[in-house]
Amino acid sequence: MSSSSQFKQLEKLGNGTYATVYKGLNKTTGVYVALKEVKLDSEEGTPSTAIREISLMKELKHENIVRLYDVIHTENKLTLVFEFMDNDLKKYMDSRTVGNTPRGLELNLVKYFQWQLLQGLAFCHENKILHRDLKPQNLLINKKGQLKLGDFGLARAFGIPVNTFSSEVVTLWYRAPDVLMGSRTYSTSIDIWSCGCILAEMITGKPLFPGTNDEEQLKLIFDVMGTPSESLWPTVTKLPKYNPNVQQRTPRDLRQVLQPHTKEPLDGNLMDFLHGLLQLNPDMRLSAKQALHHPWFAEYYQHTS
Amino acid sequence: MESPAREHSEDTQEDQTIPKIILPSEFKKCSRTDLVVLISRMLVSLIAINENSSTKRPDDQITLTRYHSKIPPNISIFNYFIRLTKFSSLEHCVLITSLYYIDLLQTAYPDFTLNSLTAHRFLLTATTVAAKGLCDSFSTNAHYSKVGGVRCHELNILENDFLKRVNYRILPRDHNITLCSIEQKQKTFVIDKNALGSVDLGSYSYSNRLKSGYNVLDKYYQRIVQLVGSFDASPDKSRRVNYVLPSNFDEDNESSSARLQQPKAATEVSPKSHYSQKRISEAKDTNKYHKRSKPD
Repeated sequence: MSSSSQFKQLEKLGNGTYATVYKGLNKTTGVYVALKEVKLDSEEGTPSTAIREISLMKELKHENIVRLYDVIHTENKLTLVFEFMDNDLKKYMDSRTVGNTPRGLELNLVKYFQWQLLQGLAFCHENKILHRDLKPQNLLINKKGQLKLGDFGLARAFGIPVNTFSSEVVTLWYRAPDVLMGSRTYSTSIDIWSCGCILAEMITGKPLFPGTNDEEQLKLIFDVMGTPSESLWPTVTKLPKYNPNVQQRTPRDLRQVLQPHTKEPLDGNLMDFLHGLLQLNPDMRLSAKQALHHPWFAEYYQHTS
Repeated sequence: MESPAREHSEDTQEDQTIPKIILPSEFKKCSRTDLVVLISRMLVSLIAINENSSTKRPDDQITLTRYHSKIPPNISIFNYFIRLTKFSSLEHCVLITSLYYIDLLQTAYPDFTLNSLTAHRFLLTATTVAAKGLCDSFSTNAHYSKVGGVRCHELNILENDFLKRVNYRILPRDHNITLCSIEQKQKTFVIDKNALGSVDLGSYSYSNRLKSGYNVLDKYYQRIVQLVGSFDASPDKSRRVNYVLPSNFDEDNESSSARLQQPKAATEVSPKSHYSQKRISEAKDTNKYHKRSKPD
């Protein structure tokens, strides 16, 4: 177990949802770490987000998930010691913007990041953990090109029967349509939708569905993906916030939506893969494991197997 | 209240006068009041065993813990638990998990024993941690402490003490108690499975872990119904009712029936019984897992 004197606190890296993150140096090993400081509030006690993040991340030892090395208890404060990562995907994409024009990533890098994202996510899901807040800011990258899932403050274990599943999860732009319509029975497919949004964003350099409220978010989704029908999604009309009066839309060709924003041609495999992630009906979305076996990734799994 | 006239025919009438409730085989479908009755019966039984003069530790060997009150609180376990459940809207899984946490805390912290001085504070701490760690709907410690009759500052300390002692292994999963105990012995935050040495590595490997889930909570539920479902089985007489599992309930666990003769072992999940239980559940889950992994 570590003590706080073991680390030298360096510059501030940012403010998380419930904590401040600093870069730190392990004085004994010379290894850089990220120190996430959590204030213990007198009313709240240990924040639920910290309890979850620690208890869930302890279960997750995988090369595409940020490692939690230790927790240091000091008076009025908890310090979570994480593996240090150089950057996050959001900042990385922002740094490539030229003037006001966002630029997507090269498709082979997109594929490598997406592969790692799904590897990490498949591991979470196998361990019965939902991330529930996948977005470029929470995907950390390092100079070796590795990508790792971070920030498990909204995550939860599934498999324990619970009555309340909050629909206030996932940052709006990456939130699945079933959750937007008030579903409380969601499962792993909630994270897959976010993966689809992230994939499109890596290709074009800009968010796919940048809504400002729940209603607009659904409208943006339906404008591209079409309005859901009972034939393709039998239970959709029973969702609490299903609106039968929403203007009917037919699906647009996703390739035509994305292609103008990238120079590289988007091939059929990629488009089929993206469609597999961005299914309106949660039951139709690929699982993380299935996604990793999609032909778009053929060059990866043929090498590894 | 029994009428004097009835007392005469007590022997013949007793079975008929205690109502019988057939419970669902899954705890999530059980009413929360029935769960609280059952768990309270279990706790009171355990307290009785722990305070029994023949098994009790001598006074000079008792370490006072954070969980000790100076005098036994003036409210029964059942009434206290009902109060927490009602005013803090505790969910089913939180209720059962609090029972699991007795085993967890006792493993990590052998000085802790459940008795009439520690039970209330333990229950408050356990339900607070479980609600915040497992559920999407939870309150602040300020609220929990008000309902529980403990100062908020004190609950914060208890919560922190609990989390630290169990090393944040608060998910009610099949082998977390064992992992917690090994981490404590090795004084590490996260167990390194390569450093486990002679310990049964199979139980820790990730590939096995994938197949294990949360059947531990249903197992605890089924066991307490078997142990204290009968009104006569526990010193706690808060509800005059006999609980049984449905007759079609598939008793799939040999070790649980073995434990019936040994009530004390019900919540003392020794590493050994833990393993045997796990292997059985694993054998079943393996099939499920393989089925599921086939692309549809």
